[in-house]
Amino acid sequence: MSPDPGASAERTRMAWRRTGLSATAVGLLAARPAFRPDAGVPAWLVAATAMFGWVALIALAYRRSYALGRTPPQPARRAVPVYALITAALAALGGLVVML
Amino acid sequence: MTDPVNNQPVLGGLRQWFDPEKQPTVGRTPDYRFSLANERTFLAWIRTGLALIAGGLACAQFLPPLPVAYLREVIAIALLLLGGMVALRAVDHWARTERAMRLGRELPGSKFPAILAIVVAAGALLLVVAVVIKAVE
Repeated sequence: MSPDPGASAERTRMAWRRTGLSATAVGLLAARPAFRPDAGVPAWLVAATAMFGWVALIALAYRRSYALGRTPPQPARRAVPVYALITAALAALGGLVVML
Repeated sequence: MTDPVNNQPVLGGLRQWFDPEKQPTVGRTPDYRFSLANERTFLAWIRTGLALIAGGLACAQFLPPLPVAYLREVIAIALLLLGGMVALRAVDHWARTERAMRLGRELPGSKFPAILAIVVAAGALLLVVAVVIKAVE
């Protein structure tokens, strides 16, 4: 039997990577107002927070990919709720971006 | 009688998000392929949420000011709210599915995809109406 029947660990790893790419788009859009010439401290703070959240999301995905590389792959635990909460926090941060 | 899969008290539900298998340890560990499939479904929903959030941010930054006052901001906030809701619903559904699989029960059904589809379609229809009214005037 192959060590990863149905390639489910590999497919899950790639799903994390795709999700990371989506998170990158959100992070860049949230940071964008900080690069306007008239940007002030609030925009910089929002951009810094967005980048921090983005780094956390990417780090979580890397950690999870490592756990998926074991045999048998470990099922997800904390990574899933933490990822969802950071995503919801990015949505709230997006609200700030719109208001600024 | 309370159904441990669907009628969790709110705090128990939140705890279940972080520890779907340990509150208390219930049932048997399912085949890891089922858990990973559940995880990929969660990730697909998170991408949906992230896409809605990105759409909200793009609306706020790239649309010109619309003829109706604050319409651009309202659209952006609505998309961001939807995105946040999708993310929270995704983790809740993931935890409930994980628990149902451990207990060997029916997987939890959900009306959320239908509701999301109707909300998005209604929003699109509303914008079409707004555009047509503007064009006629």
